[in-house]
Amino acid sequence: MLKKQAFADWLVIVGFVALIALVFQQIYTSMTEQGIASGGPYDNAAAYPRAVAILIGIMLLGQCIVQLMKSNKVSRSEILNIRPLVRPFMLLMIFGLYLWLLGVFGYHLTTTPFIILIMLLCGVRHPITLLLSGLLISFVFAFLFEYFLKIVLPGGIYQLNIPW
Amino acid sequence: MLFETLSAGFLLFLTPLAIGLTALGVVFGLLVGALPGLGPLMGIILLLPVAIGLPPIAAMGFLISIFVGGSCGGSISSILLRIPGTPLAAATLFDGYPMAQKGKASEAIGIAISASAIGGLFGGVVLIFSAPLLARIAGNFAPPEYTALAITGLIAVAVISDGSLLKGLIAGCLGLLLATIGTDEFSTGYRFTFDSYHMLNGFHIVAVVVGLFAISEMAFQIMGGGLTERPTITVAKPGFSSLLVTLRHWKNLLRSSGIGAFFGSLPGAGGVISSFTAYAVAKTSASPQERYGEGAEGGVVATESANNATVGGTLVPSLALGIPGDAASAVLIGALLILGFFPGPTLFEQQPEIVGGIFLVYLASNVFLLIIGILATPLFVYVLKLPKCFLIPIVLLLCSIGTYALQASVFDLWVMLGFGLVGIALRAAKYPLAPVVIGIILGPLLENNLRRSLLISQDGYWIFLERPVAASLLVINVVLIIGALVFAHRKKTKPLA
Repeated sequence: MLKKQAFADWLVIVGFVALIALVFQQIYTSMTEQGIASGGPYDNAAAYPRAVAILIGIMLLGQCIVQLMKSNKVSRSEILNIRPLVRPFMLLMIFGLYLWLLGVFGYHLTTTPFIILIMLLCGVRHPITLLLSGLLISFVFAFLFEYFLKIVLPGGIYQLNIPW
Repeated sequence: MLFETLSAGFLLFLTPLAIGLTALGVVFGLLVGALPGLGPLMGIILLLPVAIGLPPIAAMGFLISIFVGGSCGGSISSILLRIPGTPLAAATLFDGYPMAQKGKASEAIGIAISASAIGGLFGGVVLIFSAPLLARIAGNFAPPEYTALAITGLIAVAVISDGSLLKGLIAGCLGLLLATIGTDEFSTGYRFTFDSYHMLNGFHIVAVVVGLFAISEMAFQIMGGGLTERPTITVAKPGFSSLLVTLRHWKNLLRSSGIGAFFGSLPGAGGVISSFTAYAVAKTSASPQERYGEGAEGGVVATESANNATVGGTLVPSLALGIPGDAASAVLIGALLILGFFPGPTLFEQQPEIVGGIFLVYLASNVFLLIIGILATPLFVYVLKLPKCFLIPIVLLLCSIGTYALQASVFDLWVMLGFGLVGIALRAAKYPLAPVVIGIILGPLLENNLRRSLLISQDGYWIFLERPVAASLLVINVVLIIGALVFAHRKKTKPLA
């Protein structure tokens, strides 16, 4: 059985290890090719990120030791349960899809469906509430940003923007 | 000198836009402060993309007033719902909620707002007098001192942040590493740009901060239950007579404001520590008849004046040295940098009108807080009834449009989402996020001054020990780390002591 906290801890440690590897990969490829990975403090642009990456590595080692020394006793509430993670996962999926479609179809075509989907995910089921909220929120934001703040919202391939 | 700074700033401040946005910022700050889970930092982050397109003093007035309003807004939900809108208002629960239970909700909110405004003004006086002084001292600093100072700022925040010291330091180093992305100032080489022109100047700080804080917060909010529930709240209409009630506690008010301003000026300490400390001191100094913990007015006065005075204190090292005290002031420094101003002694010497303008918007924010806070409390109470199912899409939408508006770039939106995922992972593993932002802000200051120090040094790294101020700061850093380790060890061995 895997503990929630331990899973997250190890996941972040793996992420940091990958980051350190990336730093060194870049130093020995791109920065070396540019000639900025050696020399004095003026020319050597790699020394500082290398030092920070090494520092992270040392501290990560300490964090690994702390992790390994932690108690292995797992209480029921600490067990990793996938179910509560479904909603945030769905939220991120919908949000990612919205960001992608925002560039393709623009703000005005994508925002109302996005708001409705998020509200559905939050448990709102009343169709009129969903539709009205979706339309109202997206319209109010468009008005505030386009009319008041003169910000051009993404128009997408159809270049849909309201001429206020 | 001080008068000249203020009068120069007065011309920039005295515009309808700057004054109007300062008032609007207070309203927005109170709203985000009152809504549990948001808070001043989130408020600043959400409106940062809008602010950076404005004239400098109007923009800073907007953001600083969100900070001021947000630091007070949490008390409304603390008093009415027993849920602190922000951690800053956690200590207000002790006496604010019992007051509401006794049917004195309006009085409690009125006292909280009045104490916040007076505490904030006290913090403003501290800011106006001590920031130029500190800037003058820092004017003699050379690269080694700035290097040591940047390290101190980062370590102090990592030490005091929630969670383990190691995690705080790792998070800070992540920020330092993120700050290296883009074109190197010295060699003009490209670092970690992966041949993408989008990354030549690194990630936009707003996209990173919005992702780390706002997106991750929404993911955590949706995980919790009660998304469609509307809380039942009693009506509260405080009056201006609360100001007189608050002033009756003048000793407590001054002491707590002093504590707040002091803790605010220490990097990393922030409003939570100051409000709890002020409460503890007020409780110790009070007579038993005051019954702290059972609805004492003095308890609300102490916590609220302290956490708003902290805002003024926090701005002292931020403006005078460019060293942020917490994540919110780090974002404010980020905003100043985007607007083209570099906080530190040079700002005080070369652009006193900007410094004066910032002082004035800060003072005005607190005056507006008193007026708007008292008059508009029923509106904030009404907003508290807003279920999270409306709040989550609104925040996500604000994040997307705001981030897109920075440079009309879809790339920034993906950066925001990417850092949202990073924020979720870091929060799940209990890594504090504030050191990441402070690392990003302090990164260029640290690297540039470190390299400059080594360039001017005859003995390599020994330069840091040869200069008394730099050496003292480094000793302080070592003491801070050792102290934090000893404290953590004692806490582990005597968990219930």
